[in-house]
Amino acid sequence: MRIKDGTDGGIINRVNRFVDSEHLVPAVFLVLSFFAWQFSGFSGAFVFNQVLTRFIRDGVLVLSLIIPVVAGMGLNFAITVGAMAIQTALLLVINFQVEGATGILSVIFLGVLLSVALGFAIGHVLNRVKGKEMITTIIIGFLFNSIYQLIFLVGFGTFIPVFNQEIILSRGIGVRNTVDLGMYRNTIDKLWLLKIGAWEFPIFMILVVLFFAAGIYYLLNTRFGHEVKAIGSNNEKAEVSGINVNLIRIKVIILSTVLAAFGQLFYLQNIGMFDVYTAHLNADVISCAALLAGGASIKSAKIRHGILGIFLFHTLFIVSPQAGQNLFNNAALGEYFRSFVAYGTIAFALIINIKNENK
Amino acid sequence: MKNILEIKKLSKSYSGNPALTNINLAIKEGEIHGIVGANGSGKSTLMNILFGSPVIQETGGYEGEIFFQGKKINIKSCSEAIRMGIGMVHQEFALIPDMTAGENIKLGRERTYKFTDRLFGRRYSFINKKQDYEDAAKILRKLNMNLDVSIKIMNLSTNIKQFIELAREIGRQDLKLLLLDEPTAVLNKKDGLELINILQEMARGGLSIIFISHRLEEVQQICDRVTVFRDGKLVSQYQKGKFSINNLAGDMIGHLVSKAAAEKREIKGRPIISLKRFHVKMPGEEIKDMDLTVFKGEILGLTSLSGHGKLALGYGFMGLYPVEGEVFYENQKLTKMEAKTNIIKGIYVLPDDRQGLGLLLEHTIEENIIFPGNQIKNMFSRSFGLKILDFIDRKKSLSHVQNLIHDFQIKCTSPKQKVKELSGGNQQKVCIARALTLKPKLLFATEPTRGVDIAAKEKILNMLIEINRTQNTTIIIASSELDELKRICDRIAVMVEGKVFKILSPDSSDLEFGLALSGEEGT
Repeated sequence: MRIKDGTDGGIINRVNRFVDSEHLVPAVFLVLSFFAWQFSGFSGAFVFNQVLTRFIRDGVLVLSLIIPVVAGMGLNFAITVGAMAIQTALLLVINFQVEGATGILSVIFLGVLLSVALGFAIGHVLNRVKGKEMITTIIIGFLFNSIYQLIFLVGFGTFIPVFNQEIILSRGIGVRNTVDLGMYRNTIDKLWLLKIGAWEFPIFMILVVLFFAAGIYYLLNTRFGHEVKAIGSNNEKAEVSGINVNLIRIKVIILSTVLAAFGQLFYLQNIGMFDVYTAHLNADVISCAALLAGGASIKSAKIRHGILGIFLFHTLFIVSPQAGQNLFNNAALGEYFRSFVAYGTIAFALIINIKNENK
Repeated sequence: MKNILEIKKLSKSYSGNPALTNINLAIKEGEIHGIVGANGSGKSTLMNILFGSPVIQETGGYEGEIFFQGKKINIKSCSEAIRMGIGMVHQEFALIPDMTAGENIKLGRERTYKFTDRLFGRRYSFINKKQDYEDAAKILRKLNMNLDVSIKIMNLSTNIKQFIELAREIGRQDLKLLLLDEPTAVLNKKDGLELINILQEMARGGLSIIFISHRLEEVQQICDRVTVFRDGKLVSQYQKGKFSINNLAGDMIGHLVSKAAAEKREIKGRPIISLKRFHVKMPGEEIKDMDLTVFKGEILGLTSLSGHGKLALGYGFMGLYPVEGEVFYENQKLTKMEAKTNIIKGIYVLPDDRQGLGLLLEHTIEENIIFPGNQIKNMFSRSFGLKILDFIDRKKSLSHVQNLIHDFQIKCTSPKQKVKELSGGNQQKVCIARALTLKPKLLFATEPTRGVDIAAKEKILNMLIEINRTQNTTIIIASSELDELKRICDRIAVMVEGKVFKILSPDSSDLEFGLALSGEEGT
């Protein structure tokens, strides 16, 4: 337990307080990233541009995790469901060959509609398993993944009529592994691109991510946000304070799923190619890892954890394969390094943060 | 005067066990209506029904009719009750631990910016935190409290929490009926009196108050009418000034209670524990530079006004807050403050926060009583050679627990009943039974009789005296109930600002105690 007026100096006290604080995990990441960058041999500008690209690519997905954590529901691994919702919308719209702005708008409309419905369903399920939300969302993510694969591998060309032959496998049933998003690629990424030497700043997309961050900050400081914080702290006490706990929890999950859908949309349009069956798969793990790297825990997450975390985590993510390769002279090692970094982060941050919770 | 609340033929049972039977009760506008009764008499159930607690609906609702302001109502949730203008101060606090004092006081009626009100509606409007905190501080000042409202609830002491919970209800403009479940139980006498003045003022303003308390003097002093409950039935009702405390006590218990009292004696044995420059950093109840020596076999009382440190000593020994200074226990220096090591050495702490720190609520009475004894001292195991594979000796533990249930008169259906289903007083008895199981050499009891009815209170005090006399257990009781301390203690230490200010004999006059509590030397 932290004590407000325990301000007495002493270097050991200060070190202890730092080790116990939320700054430890980000600090470790900072140090690791720095050394990995040194070994990787990348230029600063390259890493920076890459990280900024990741920031606009993954930013909203990471932010979509914050509200469920504040509501005491832990990391919402079911954001993959939101990702699948927007992918479904995207595939349908491509299939019906709606193009241009109408196309984008109908993708958003359909995707949001689907994620609200799915979020509602997930919220109901989670209300039945209070206290075990995280494992449940992982399984829900797996379940929806198989339903999703079933629909697009088998459903297309059988009960879903095909209008766009380009996306269909040659046998006439099932969607191709990769669908080109040529018409949407980087439509908004390059808006207001500011170049200073080798450094690139896609101002518009940075503002979009920051806009979502500001939106979440705003929401958490409304009456609704205070109710979310209250149920995050203690369900029973929130209930007797006159809060409809189950309803708020459902709203939280709907919000998270819709935000994840937007996040995945930005992700896909940034990449420009759409791996139908795998694009959503790592959305949850990478986003959770980034949030945790920023100093969040499964019980408390703030906007700044998300934003800081994206920068720290992705720096390490980008430089570590090359560093691994340079250090061990093995090209295959690089890829292993990445998944090691992602899962290692989650495990490390969970352990360190939970240790802090128990203080 | 009109009736604001009318209850007709109200009955409620939990899985076959009747908790309330056929209650008829009317509350007038602007009335302070006292409800007294022993633990398990149905008071809390009545409050839960009136406030729409989820537990009522989950266990099948209630029978009978309730009219509020002339209209028949059937309250299904707390938010419904709050919307109707019913407020409640809970015995076990309904404050959100991770939110600040200010946020808690204003929860549900935060001030928001007008602009965003119009933009997104009041629910999704941005909260004006600064103004909220100012409002909260203003309400607290009405209660004569100056507190930094940006401190999180979990860092505050129990007394302060009580005032914050009250402030939350008092801050409501639309409040018509206030339910108070033991509001003064966690307060010392002085704070309690202050609270009573505030309540009387609010009642003059037209607010109806249902006041549940075990302090019968208070009930006698402030309530316009008093209703007595016993075993879920309404036994009697009195007008103000037409009854004595003995009437109430008699009706509550059905028979008269004899008060616990220990004979006076002089203890000058060897010291069992001595503290030198002892600090406990518990926010709101800090101990600074405390020096104290406790003799083997004595009962030492520890009292202070709220916030002056009497609660912190026990918590320090549980290892919950950082401590500094030297402690000598049985001539050995204690280097580590940790519950487990201390229990092995024979020091046990009975915390005042029963539900949060004392009990495993989801477990049975039996498991609760034997838990530390078995886990730490292996008292109820049947051994097969390898310690880690030991079974719990069910026969031994059951007979032990049954004896204790009998001795303590713990009201329960069986030793297998879950502790969370017991009433507050019976939960406390379970805590003490567990402490006894460990046969400690030194027992810290923190507010052992808080929120417990008279009969159970005397029972608990008698048990403490008995273990002291028969097992020679040294007991340190931290309590704000001076009257109880004077009856059972050998010496009473009065603490002021985290230090022992004076050690008085229990025969000292109330005046001497009053002076010492407020830090005056006296002549």
